[in-house]
Amino acid sequence: MKRSFGAVLLAMGVAILACQATRPPIYAASDGFQTNQSSGSAVQDAAADVAKAGGELFGQNCAFCHGRDAMGGETGPDLTRATLVLTDKGGDKISEVVRDGRPQKGMPSFNFSSEQLTSLVAFIHSQAAKAKAQNGGRRGVEVADLQTGNRELGKKYFYGAGGCSKCHSPTGDLAGIASRYEGLRLEEQMLYPRDAKSRVTVRLPSGETVKGTLAYVDEFVVGLRDANNTYRSFFTSNVKYVIDSPVDAHVEQFSKYTDDDIHNLMAYLQTLR
Amino acid sequence: MTFLRHNWSLASLLLLIALPSPLVAQNLDPADLLNPSPDSWPSYHGDYSGMRHSKLTQITPKNVGNLTLGWAFQTQHRDTIKASPLLVGGVLYFTIPDNVWAVDARSGHMLWHYTYPPNKGEHIGQRGVGIYKGWVFFTSPDAHLISLNAEDGKVRWIVEIADVNKGYWATMAPQIVSNHVIIGVGGDLDNLPTFIRSIDPETGKTQWQWNVTPPASTPGGSTGGTTWMSGTYDPHLNLIYWGTGNPTPVLSGTTRPGDDLYTCSIVALNADTGKFVWGFSASPHDTHDWDAVETPVLVDGMFHGRPRKMLMQASRNGYFFVLDRTNGESLLTVPFGPVNWALGIDKQGRPVPNPAKEPAPDGRLIAPDEGGLTNFRSPSFDPKTGLFIVDAHPSWSIYFSKPADGDYGWAGGDYDLWGKGVIEAIDYQTGKIRWSHEVGSGGSGAGVLTTDSGLTFTGDAQGNFLALDTATGKTLWHAGSGGIIGSSPTTYEIDGKQYVLTSGGGVLFAWKLPDTNN
Repeated sequence: MKRSFGAVLLAMGVAILACQATRPPIYAASDGFQTNQSSGSAVQDAAADVAKAGGELFGQNCAFCHGRDAMGGETGPDLTRATLVLTDKGGDKISEVVRDGRPQKGMPSFNFSSEQLTSLVAFIHSQAAKAKAQNGGRRGVEVADLQTGNRELGKKYFYGAGGCSKCHSPTGDLAGIASRYEGLRLEEQMLYPRDAKSRVTVRLPSGETVKGTLAYVDEFVVGLRDANNTYRSFFTSNVKYVIDSPVDAHVEQFSKYTDDDIHNLMAYLQTLR
Repeated sequence: MTFLRHNWSLASLLLLIALPSPLVAQNLDPADLLNPSPDSWPSYHGDYSGMRHSKLTQITPKNVGNLTLGWAFQTQHRDTIKASPLLVGGVLYFTIPDNVWAVDARSGHMLWHYTYPPNKGEHIGQRGVGIYKGWVFFTSPDAHLISLNAEDGKVRWIVEIADVNKGYWATMAPQIVSNHVIIGVGGDLDNLPTFIRSIDPETGKTQWQWNVTPPASTPGGSTGGTTWMSGTYDPHLNLIYWGTGNPTPVLSGTTRPGDDLYTCSIVALNADTGKFVWGFSASPHDTHDWDAVETPVLVDGMFHGRPRKMLMQASRNGYFFVLDRTNGESLLTVPFGPVNWALGIDKQGRPVPNPAKEPAPDGRLIAPDEGGLTNFRSPSFDPKTGLFIVDAHPSWSIYFSKPADGDYGWAGGDYDLWGKGVIEAIDYQTGKIRWSHEVGSGGSGAGVLTTDSGLTFTGDAQGNFLALDTATGKTLWHAGSGGIIGSSPTTYEIDGKQYVLTSGGGVLFAWKLPDTNN
């Protein structure tokens, strides 16, 4: 019974992959799949039904983290403001994340049928359209909400108590930062740039050293990408290694910030366009 | 089944301990829960104390390095196992949402698999079953209680716990005390009242219900306080101890001024009547989603030179609490990691929330994050060393809330910035951390089990199972699971062989010493 159950699952997986390749896009763009349907109310009703089915699926599997309205909840981001959703075309990006999950961020993968995925994507897009239509009174974090700081005090903090200028420069790595990120995304990046890379130097028993970008580490294995981008790993019991992780300074800073420091620093960083 | 009452005497308890209590097939006398045999793990926490500490000593710090795989069981589902498997009569019972399995504890082969019909409840997790006599009790995503026949997994009856259409769900493992199946409910995406309820194991009828918050019509009253973790029990006091979840609306407290009792609290109820005896508010007026449902661990021992009946909790809000469990009085309140949201501790040992750290339109930097300094994963208390060992999660986040977020459900947003996992060994008399053991970036979902031989079993953020030396925290054994660890280890001895049971992703692993070593 176990075996046949596994075979069914495997078959379902293959079916999903096959359907993904051939599935026609039933809604067009990210900014409101309903408004792009111009051929009459029957089509709109059908699309609304698909989104409704997607909403139920969302409620069972996604709402706990992303909120029942997809506008943010426990741990999961507000999907109606997510770049991935806003740049998704016909489910191309959303489907991939749902199928594969994001294990590093704690998002599990889901084994949905292609119809289920279609409905889920339709629901998320309809929620994004709904949120966008809420001009002004919209729930969630707006760029305008994050303008309570003082840029002069922020600059002072940057060069003084914050110690930011020890590693960063407004004309170097931070030049144009406010053009690359805005609002909440900029603030998150400022407080902890989660994609920052660490370097690792591994000394082998022979005395040889291997340097690279840290790719993996636990108590037992350390892995790196060397200058050729080749992955190499070592048992930590066999080697000595040193990790250089400048981003740790951001962790040190958490307990030192006041909320005003953060808002002031935001005001200053937003001048770096 | 009425003999197990509050006047249960010490003499009869000792008599029960002295007599061998062989388990007959898949049948669990509720009296066996008072003193579980080594070849069983008959309730979520293993026993009523919630210490998750085993007397078994076959696997030791010296030989644990030889630990080898006895068997693995693949659910072939994507859900991460969050259940503690129950072991009764040589059969393991465990779950993921909508699914229950019965598996032979010797071989890992499946006896039966029950699937609950598709339903629209929240499928966030499932923490396992409760067993009474020959019946298995299971809660469904759409908030129903299902009674199954332990022999074959056939449905006996199904009763509704709460209305899924209002936003309720259920994830918890029912607590069995005497002839009571004690259950709770989940659902904080909506402003809903919650409760702890006792069900008759034979008929499915409600025996008693205790409501967490005052009636919905109470001015300034809150809703919420979900009861999503199986509690502990003191048979001498005949009190069950449960934690309650956050109030709703979650991140905005303006419509619910005051302490929002008894949300985010530890409560003591009479097991037979549900009568409220005492409550301790772990997070008065919570606005950060810090459910106080983490295991209320019951320990009898010395505290500052006096014998005490204690209750200990490492709480999601970042504080380690020691209470006198006879009356709920505070003995110790101390943070066990970075915490920045309280002005201090009041006379009753409760953290005093800082109004300036409530979620705000322009954001507030908060430690710990919403997942908390720990969560539902079990801690363990090791009696020999006096160490309370917990999988902690030092972390920082930003919390937002503004009028446009409304006063229903979540009512705001919060964003995790950074966190890591650390196994901490806390001295329960001082709150000082005797040793800590880093378990990786992001944090680990593994709970903790200790054994009398001086071993601590847990896991890391990358999915490695770990055995540590309880005295020092040093790693003695490890094995990669290939998945996220979302459950707490258990152990049992069958036919003279000790097993340690762990899970990674949707796979259950049974570890033992090589046969030649026994």
